[in-house]
Amino acid sequence: MKLPILPTTVIGSYSMPEWLERAKNDYLARRLSKRDLDDMHDAVRKAAIKDQESAGIDIVTDGELQRDNMIDYFTERIPGVQVDLGSKRFYYDFYDTEVRSKLGTGSLGLTEEVKFLKKFTDHSTKVSVSGPHTLVKRIRNSFYKDEAEFAVDLGKALNRELKEMVRTGVTELQIDEPYYSGFPEDLPWAVKAINAVTEGVDAHVTLHICYGNRYGKPSFEGSYKYLFPTILDAKVHALSLEFARRGEEDIQLFKEFKAPFTLGLGVIDVKTQDIESPALVADRIRRALEVVPAERLVINPDCGCVHLPRDVAFAKLTAMVEGARMVRNELGK
Amino acid sequence: MIVHINHISQSKKGGKKSQLGELASLVTGSLVDLVEGGQLDARIAPSLRIHLDWIQYKTNFRDPVIVRRTTDANGKALALAEVAIDLRQCNAAELPLQLERAARQVSPNANVDDGRMYLDEYRPYRECMIWDFNRLFWRHLGDWEAASGRGFEASLPSGSSDANRPDAVHDSVVEFWQLLTNLDAKKQLPAELPILEIGVGAGTRAAAWIDGFKTYDESHGTSYYDRLQFILGDYSPDTLARACASLGRHKAHIVPAPLDALNPYKTLSQYRFKVLYVHLTNVYDNLPFDDLIRRDGKLYLVEVRAYLSAAAVDRLTADFGITKGDLMGAMRRLLEGGPAAAFPGDKGVSFWRCFWDYFRLEERLRAIDDREEAHVPPGLSWSHLEDLLAEAPEDVRFHISRGAAESFANTLPLLHPRGYLQVQDIFVEDMNEYRKGFKGPGKLDGSLVTWVNGALLRAVGARAGYDVHFRPFTYRPGSKTTVMYTTQKP
Repeated sequence: MKLPILPTTVIGSYSMPEWLERAKNDYLARRLSKRDLDDMHDAVRKAAIKDQESAGIDIVTDGELQRDNMIDYFTERIPGVQVDLGSKRFYYDFYDTEVRSKLGTGSLGLTEEVKFLKKFTDHSTKVSVSGPHTLVKRIRNSFYKDEAEFAVDLGKALNRELKEMVRTGVTELQIDEPYYSGFPEDLPWAVKAINAVTEGVDAHVTLHICYGNRYGKPSFEGSYKYLFPTILDAKVHALSLEFARRGEEDIQLFKEFKAPFTLGLGVIDVKTQDIESPALVADRIRRALEVVPAERLVINPDCGCVHLPRDVAFAKLTAMVEGARMVRNELGK
Repeated sequence: MIVHINHISQSKKGGKKSQLGELASLVTGSLVDLVEGGQLDARIAPSLRIHLDWIQYKTNFRDPVIVRRTTDANGKALALAEVAIDLRQCNAAELPLQLERAARQVSPNANVDDGRMYLDEYRPYRECMIWDFNRLFWRHLGDWEAASGRGFEASLPSGSSDANRPDAVHDSVVEFWQLLTNLDAKKQLPAELPILEIGVGAGTRAAAWIDGFKTYDESHGTSYYDRLQFILGDYSPDTLARACASLGRHKAHIVPAPLDALNPYKTLSQYRFKVLYVHLTNVYDNLPFDDLIRRDGKLYLVEVRAYLSAAAVDRLTADFGITKGDLMGAMRRLLEGGPAAAFPGDKGVSFWRCFWDYFRLEERLRAIDDREEAHVPPGLSWSHLEDLLAEAPEDVRFHISRGAAESFANTLPLLHPRGYLQVQDIFVEDMNEYRKGFKGPGKLDGSLVTWVNGALLRAVGARAGYDVHFRPFTYRPGSKTTVMYTTQKP
């Protein structure tokens, strides 16, 4: 499907209903069967797709509500990562995990997400994976020489999965790396790990780097200055960055370092329930256009809407779409 | 009939213990006599619960023996009834008679008029008039102190506030400085370094803290002081002005912020995710709360009704030269306009102090309909409350520290990702502790004090993505103060 200029998309998970949180906890406590929980997951994924379509989002996801969080969904799937399934009671917490041997080469089973999306929407679609740096920070390493070596091997495991997803028909992929901002000193090896993920992957790949959104709060603070120039070595098509909450000052870094990437422009602050007006969104896009041409801008929220009530998340996405449309009209496109 | 012994003494003073044992024996003996003598309603006796308390606050809101009856959610009388006895207040000579009176009152249809004057309707604790008196106290603190001849701090158990302990302040300075050096090492030190103290009093702690920080910073050559912003938060502009005046030497680093302790974020939203350190001492224990009781798996809300005993009414009318009919009017004038509006001159404060001394609360238990959201504090849902109750003893009376929870939930959004919130107060850290002793409310001079449900705050914190830890306040031997320490979950 041909995308308009300034296409809109989402980042991360869609609004998590409280009843689903309860169900996930009940599943962990063995009060609910996996089959019942899977049924619920399918229902909310369809609803999330429908909400995005109704809001006018161009590139939709399945809402990722079947994922407990951005770590466990992957550590449970990556062959060779040992997961202590009794180590959490609240779904959003992280399992205790450890790697004691070289990672295996089995499938992570993420192609199901591609098939689900293709079955329930004819919009352009995107699937996201957590990046190797983020996963390394959450898995106890008892095998690899160091984090860098572990991350590259994780990158290879993700690479195999991404290629399989491309074969299944996905054209837009996103890698989430919120922990870069907390460990800027890791960036040189973290970028090598990203390149291991994307090598030979025939899809449009976005690298999403924010300051964290756990429980709707940042995990780190600072400036994106730390990314440059190292990030220029990343073999990705786009960088998706958080600007709505933090201010737009760092967009200038794209100009200063002549960054060749498309910019995923965060125009919605997902850490507040205040709903942006379309005019505010349009202003943010116009300011970004002073630095990055329209052909290299994608419009998205700062991060996932998972901690927002559904009506707020929907209203924010609607405002984002309308703001993008206003600027598109001004550009005559 | 079930007898609950609600006080597990930590005291090693044997004399007190034996006295309590004798009183407890007298209670059970008297009750058996009442049953055998047919003076206790046979329909009530099987489900009657007897609570033996030992209230740590010498002045409190209870008579030595009280009766709690129950109603359903709509106010219709239920059979469950309780008699609660404060073993600290009661004496052996009067106890049998007091129990006999309680036995007459315990029936659902009992209508015993002992001449008490009711000052209000039944209400949850959070809405009862003790908060009007609390506000009155803080608004007219100077009048009260002048009349009592001592400052408020002198009424505290230690005779001074734990907020100002020099070694505690020093450790706090060092801890904060270490956070800054850690951020600095990662090149993540913000350009401005805001910290917040809520409830600043005369500014004594703030002054000691900033002085200490400046000295420590200078001795390490780090120049963090230049970037420090110390936000003083208090609801009273007068208090803030007084505190700021005492901090003149740090004027450039002081940000006075008149704020409601229940919602600091509303006033300070420009500091969202920026404040590196928040401190409160003895604020939460003076914020509105509710009491819930679980009996036989069912939850009840404690509702209270303010009253004066017949003897108190006689004393007040005689001492202040007013009729019984004038008493309510004098109370209203006191609460609305302060002591001078009640009576001219010193008589106003005197009336206030006597009235507060006689002021008592009668309790009843109202069954809560399933999932009545009104009783769930901000930051939590009913299902979170259920999780908390899952960890609590079956039969338990506990606080819903809704004011503290609201304040806490509305302070967390101010915290920088690496920031921390430190609260010095009296906390119940675990729901099981509610089985081991009375946790308030009590009177503290003209104000009131209630232990804070730390387990509840831990649940609020967890829901918002924060770890909440408690550690003893080790700077004063014997202190009941605990330090609640909150940081973002890793």
